[in-house]
Amino acid sequence: MSSKKKVLLKVIILGDSGVGKTSLMNQYVNKKFSASYKATIGADFLTKEVVMDDDRVVTLQLWDTAGQERFQSLGVAFYRGADCCVLVYDVNNSKSFETLESWRDEFLVQASPMDPESFPFVVIGNKVDVEESRRMISSKRAMTFCQSKGGLSYFETSAKEALNVEEAFSAIAKQALAQEEAGDFNSDFPETIPIDLKNDRDGCAC
Amino acid sequence: MTSPTPPHSPPSPTASFYDMSDDEEGEYNTIRHTSSGRGVKLLYTKSKVYVHPTPSAKDNIPGFIALVQQKGPVESNDARPTSSSSARSVHASSLLLAWVPESSLGDSYDTYVKVDLSDSSSPPRQSYLVPPPPTTTTHANSVGTYAFAVPVSEIYSLLVRPPSIGWWFGSLVANTKAGESFPALFFHDSECQSTILQRKKLARESFDPFGDGGGMFWGGDEVLRWLKRYVNVERSGAEPSIYLIDPSEEDKVSFGRKATTSKSPRNSTDGGASSSASPPAAKRDGGMDPITKTLKEAKWNFLEKLSQVTTFTRRTAQAVAENPKVPPQVRRLIQNPEVQVLQEEFDSAKIYLARWAMGIQEQSERERNQRIWTANDVLEMEESSVGEFEILDMEAGKLSMSDLRKPVTLKEWKDFFDAQTGRLQITPDEVKERIFHGGLHPDDGVRKEAWMFLLGVYEWDSSTEERHANMNSRRDEYIRLKGAWWERMIEGHSTAEEEEWWKEQKNRIEKDVHRTDRTIPIFMGEDIPHPDPDSPFADVGTNVHLEQMKDMLLTYNEYNKDLGYVQGMSDLLSPIYAVMQDDAAAFWGFVGFMERMERNFLRDQSGMRKQLLTLDHLVQLMDPKLYLHLQSADSTNFFFFFRMLLVWYKREFEWVDVLRLWEGLWTDYLSSNYHIFIALAILERHRDVIMEHLKHFDEVLKYINELSGTIELQSTLVRAESLYRRFQRTVETIDKKDNFPLPPAAHRRISSTRSASASPPPKTTWAASGAASTSTGTDRGKQRQSVGDVVAKGIGADKEKVISPELRQLLSREVEKVSKAELKEHGGGVGGA
Ligand SMILES: Nc1nc2c(ncn2[C@@H]2O[C@H](COP(=O)(O)OP(=O)(O)OP(=O)(O)O)[C@@H](O)[C@H]2O)c(=O)[nH]1
Ligand SMILES: [Mg+2]
Repeated sequence: MSSKKKVLLKVIILGDSGVGKTSLMNQYVNKKFSASYKATIGADFLTKEVVMDDDRVVTLQLWDTAGQERFQSLGVAFYRGADCCVLVYDVNNSKSFETLESWRDEFLVQASPMDPESFPFVVIGNKVDVEESRRMISSKRAMTFCQSKGGLSYFETSAKEALNVEEAFSAIAKQALAQEEAGDFNSDFPETIPIDLKNDRDGCAC
Repeated sequence: MTSPTPPHSPPSPTASFYDMSDDEEGEYNTIRHTSSGRGVKLLYTKSKVYVHPTPSAKDNIPGFIALVQQKGPVESNDARPTSSSSARSVHASSLLLAWVPESSLGDSYDTYVKVDLSDSSSPPRQSYLVPPPPTTTTHANSVGTYAFAVPVSEIYSLLVRPPSIGWWFGSLVANTKAGESFPALFFHDSECQSTILQRKKLARESFDPFGDGGGMFWGGDEVLRWLKRYVNVERSGAEPSIYLIDPSEEDKVSFGRKATTSKSPRNSTDGGASSSASPPAAKRDGGMDPITKTLKEAKWNFLEKLSQVTTFTRRTAQAVAENPKVPPQVRRLIQNPEVQVLQEEFDSAKIYLARWAMGIQEQSERERNQRIWTANDVLEMEESSVGEFEILDMEAGKLSMSDLRKPVTLKEWKDFFDAQTGRLQITPDEVKERIFHGGLHPDDGVRKEAWMFLLGVYEWDSSTEERHANMNSRRDEYIRLKGAWWERMIEGHSTAEEEEWWKEQKNRIEKDVHRTDRTIPIFMGEDIPHPDPDSPFADVGTNVHLEQMKDMLLTYNEYNKDLGYVQGMSDLLSPIYAVMQDDAAAFWGFVGFMERMERNFLRDQSGMRKQLLTLDHLVQLMDPKLYLHLQSADSTNFFFFFRMLLVWYKREFEWVDVLRLWEGLWTDYLSSNYHIFIALAILERHRDVIMEHLKHFDEVLKYINELSGTIELQSTLVRAESLYRRFQRTVETIDKKDNFPLPPAAHRRISSTRSASASPPPKTTWAASGAASTSTGTDRGKQRQSVGDVVAKGIGADKEKVISPELRQLLSREVEKVSKAELKEHGGGVGGA
């Protein structure tokens, strides 16, 4: 196994405007939160290399999209070939929770994955740092929803306080990798990493 | 993972017992036995030579490359020669070429540093002993650490890649006679103290830090120089990056007759030897040895690819470096780019390299921009950087009128008007031309006045008095509109649906205002408590300008119920408000702006689709080659221009440039869709990079998105204008031909390529309606494709170009507005059905 296929995992992040999609992504990739990210227009992605449990290195390509629903119609080009879809809502905003289902349906229509039943979705309830009195959606309610949709993984996060963000995305990476491996192998990323990976590196494992 | 910091020995100069002064005798073997029982002589070494075990820079392992001498089969004198004649007496098998990671050196670290820094061009005064590195002849043995030490006699060849203008690290791979290759060693020259000193020295002695081959002196040169003292090093003629070590006659033959022997004794100008021989353009496969083949097929595959990119970069960088007009700062940049940035994003190295090259050009443009742009500048630039893209129809005389490009000052503006009546004394077109080319003065307050005209709040033929009256009634109207939603907010809405919509819109506006242009001084910070304790921003607070923005957008939401507030609008309002600093004036200016922008925000996105399609047609017509490339990269949806078209480049240009750009666009001086030509200008600016390096939709999108904040406005404007004029001429040419019957030959060719059953009459060939409507029934229903096909086939032959209605509309100065009915149907607000 001296040269490995380079694995690129494509992840689409969806959810209402302002739930914190851009903030979550930046917290995960760049380890920072800024209150002045602009509303996303169009689409963009960030990439991050992730070392999986089996020491494999994969590249996550995280697609950030605009939340206002009318902007989705043009941007579906990049839904295709996704390995995982993340549905984000704001725990302090019930509307954003109620729309999760239509985000999911829209995604399935547009991305048309081979087996929609088993396609991995991860649900994230964001902004849990906000004081409890403002909270609109309980964990229980969210988990019930996830159960009803075939047992979707659920995480509660704060992009602001970097709470649970790492955990959520590592689950996302895992599910995306599983999906990618289950799927066809005519990946469009044939480059191999030429440098030998067979040896452990010395000492430092940070 | 950070690289381990080397351990430090106590400061005493003789702290290390390996550090010995036995040079006189040269009997280090004896001493070795008596003192430690083991130890080899460290002849030469170089620090900051890395192994890159993974594509990620954080895994790089720093170490030393070294030439050491061990006890060989032939007892020898001190190997570090005092004259070149004695050098050859050292048997190659007693010499080891080694790489050791810093972390493994322990006490001997200081010795390595000392030897690295000692002057390698003259005989050493001391010789240094270090523990022997583990001798390995195969890479497989060096488990875990990558460390190796291979007898020089076992080395068959070295694959040597010099850095490209300091951008990509130079590297070296040792290939053994057994066919084994050691990991590539990368020379991080900018971190290596000795290389830096050697460069300085070369620069002092010859006023030229470059070797005679023109390449920058680098660590790998030094390694070759060490080896040349003891063994025969020959550069392959067939494969110039291969250096053969003590090659046999057969080897020499198989590597091509052109091989250059470089046995020149050390001297200080010898540094660039590796690049001094200028081999003929090497045939890639001719006479390649098995090792080279294997290397190419495996490990180097990837680096090969990168080096192709680097070739491009080098070419570009060199072109820039050689251009006498390039300012010294840029030249410095070329010599010392931030290699680390690239390393950290090894993955997208291609794009980064490309962007870097563009960045240099952008910077040089900025530098040049300190004087007024002329057409000649652009022509020159196009030649050097955009390559094939020529501006044929540049009206040099006209554009170089630099007066035209000076901003309109408040004084000049006032002089346009009659002092008595306040009526315009020249034609609106003359004013517009001035603003289109020169913009308005950024600081003297002229914008406040002029924008009201440009945004349609004031009529061009109005008097001072009329404008006063106008503004007064508009103020009243703004207050009335604002009062209306305010009242409703308190008293409740008529239907639950409306109530819901309102709440949602209010949230949306608030969220967006709080993330719009917060780095611009007036929108910065929060210094007043939030009026609404239930707002998500109650804890954060707000400031008076944010509150004004909110009110204006809520009022617009009320004023244009069929559409309502849509994301992106806050970006359009903020510059107007910042210039006006008066909510009523800004509101009405915004309303005027929105009349032309409404189509961007429709629920069905039809307006955006149409503009993207127009851009598609325009690129097909103006740059078919680029179009074909974009097609192959799945990018002809032009989605990567979505953001730019939606909010008119608000996110791509610096704030001050946005103001300048918009006032030019508002004039509709050449076209009411001039923003599409800005898109084309940006695209053409980067077309070489796009065509050479960007092969997939995601790469194109990322590249274009990241242009944000780097685009030079002035040159973009000049380029856009020349593109517009060329477009205009192309259309004229095609239209003119339309009036004459075609020569029969051309006629036949067209009908066959179009596979139409009957030859269409000449008229239809140039029909304004695009390919589909002119062709037979079989082509119907795939209009876009047909247009593409026709143009694609017609590269170089403008005979087959078609002017679609979308393109023709680009020649119009009439602003395209959405009709009331359409807005009701597709606006997506609450006014509709
Ligand atoms: N308190 C709190 N605020 C957050 C958190 N994440 C995001 N925000 C804020 O919520 C607002 C929206 O965040 P974004 O990340 O821009 O939201 P988005 O989902 O990308 O929005 P669109 O781009 O419009 O689709 C910003 O004001 C953020 O500062 C969080 O975890 N806690
Ligand atoms: Mg966003």
